[in-house]
Amino acid sequence: MEPLRFATYPSTHLHLPLRKDILHRAVIFEGDGTRQGTASTKHRGEVRGSSAKIRPQKGTGRARLGDKKSPMLVGGGRAHGPHPRDFSTKLPRKIYDLAWRTALSYRYRKGELIIVQKCRDGDVQGWDFEEVMNVNGWGRADGRSLIVTRDRLPGLIERMTEKPRAGREKEGVGRHGKVVAEDDVDVKDLLTMGRVVIEKRALDSILREHESDIVKEVARATYS
Amino acid sequence: MAPVSSAGKGSSVFRGYEERRAQQFSNMPPQIVPILGKTLSEVPASRAIAPFLLPFLHTQQRAASILSSLSDNQSAYKKRIRRGRGPASGKGKTAGRGYNGQKQKGKAPRGFNGGQTTLEVVKGLRGFNNVFSVDMIPLNLNRLQAWVDQGRIDASKPITIKELGESRCVNNVKDGVKLLARGSEEIKNPLNVIVSRASASAIKAIENAGGTVTTRFYTPFAIQKILKGRMDPINSLSSQPVEGQEPTRSPFIPRLPDPTSRKNLEYYRDPAHRGYLSYQVAEGESPSLFWKAKAVRDSKRRTAGKAKSAADNRIW
Repeated sequence: MEPLRFATYPSTHLHLPLRKDILHRAVIFEGDGTRQGTASTKHRGEVRGSSAKIRPQKGTGRARLGDKKSPMLVGGGRAHGPHPRDFSTKLPRKIYDLAWRTALSYRYRKGELIIVQKCRDGDVQGWDFEEVMNVNGWGRADGRSLIVTRDRLPGLIERMTEKPRAGREKEGVGRHGKVVAEDDVDVKDLLTMGRVVIEKRALDSILREHESDIVKEVARATYS
Repeated sequence: MAPVSSAGKGSSVFRGYEERRAQQFSNMPPQIVPILGKTLSEVPASRAIAPFLLPFLHTQQRAASILSSLSDNQSAYKKRIRRGRGPASGKGKTAGRGYNGQKQKGKAPRGFNGGQTTLEVVKGLRGFNNVFSVDMIPLNLNRLQAWVDQGRIDASKPITIKELGESRCVNNVKDGVKLLARGSEEIKNPLNVIVSRASASAIKAIENAGGTVTTRFYTPFAIQKILKGRMDPINSLSSQPVEGQEPTRSPFIPRLPDPTSRKNLEYYRDPAHRGYLSYQVAEGESPSLFWKAKAVRDSKRRTAGKAKSAADNRIW
């Protein structure tokens, strides 16, 4: 790989000091937001069935029991079971934006941020995906790579996606790394693999979207 | 630094990669990347360690992600006070709950005064909650003009709650926005304002500058929807129909509501308030739904008298 050209980025975007606390907060914030929170069980009040006392209070020689939906009994409700809830937490947008740029800066300083002009989608003559990854040292042997494209490239995603078992594959995730469109990337993705290979347009757009702590935007009325 | 920093290019994981790449680039013109890679790999891992230990050092190195070493600042973590865990904890014996009584053992009712007559009973409750009050956000003319000057609001287009909210000219709108006249001498542009209410002097100031004021009815629900762009901020079913501008309405977008209470109807029927229903009030008619205007009363009386006299003249 030969550098095509040199580009200059401000130090506030790609040369920030490593702030592990900020990165940690961003990763936790994303993780919380990703949780589905759909776990659900039935309380004794929600279990279907009669609330009649199942046997007399006294005289049977057995334990005292109320209705058959008691959490103590088989087929009864869950006493303190999970119910659907929202796990998401909040993070000030300026901190989150700082985390994005800190993550990219960390990659850049370690030489793990590779900016490419454009990723090709689908078949390119004389190219083999496997070979491209191995020859460039981006593949599994070299710690895998996150490939970020501006637009969704179905052909590239198809080539990267591993198919361990039908229905079990994760789109764009394979042995050599992960292919994602710029909209789907988060801070954790940027920190996970050996390096980040990113289209210049995607990088520019990410940096533009995540500079609210430096660029003060005045709210304006929108007109259609 | 983090374990990641140890994952340099000279590590064992990357060794194969270096060789492969060297082969790949051997018959190519000199390039920047391989040279860079070489300089990095030539940096000795550690000079202090004896050479025979190097293989062991290398086996320990791997490309670890920074994720495992991320942590918030020490001060961001607060340790939970473990109550009732022995005298050394400082919250041991009574666990901060004092001695005997209901408050130690469980819950005491709110306002419970140890069995003494509670303050609410001794002094009585004060105040009340006025359910009819409305929370209007004031909007003064100098602020509006400042927003126009900054280009945050377009003066050539109608200024509604949507534009005001989006440009943060008003915040936290609950029941509506009332236009007030502070700084009315600063008005330069002819403004076309549509808000919930307007003071007489604000109306006068805007109209003197060549603009228009319309007051119209909003509910808190409508304001929520308008700010999300999910409701028309200007027209409702009772709005004055304009020739050639029949409202197009999507079935999935809720309609802007009209008032139903007499108080609101009368406010927006009043031409003095520049109400959006004032077109329904005929010349000489009163905006009130109960009191008729004096002129109308008199004319009605006159016609009633005439009818009676005509009836007297009838033959059969």
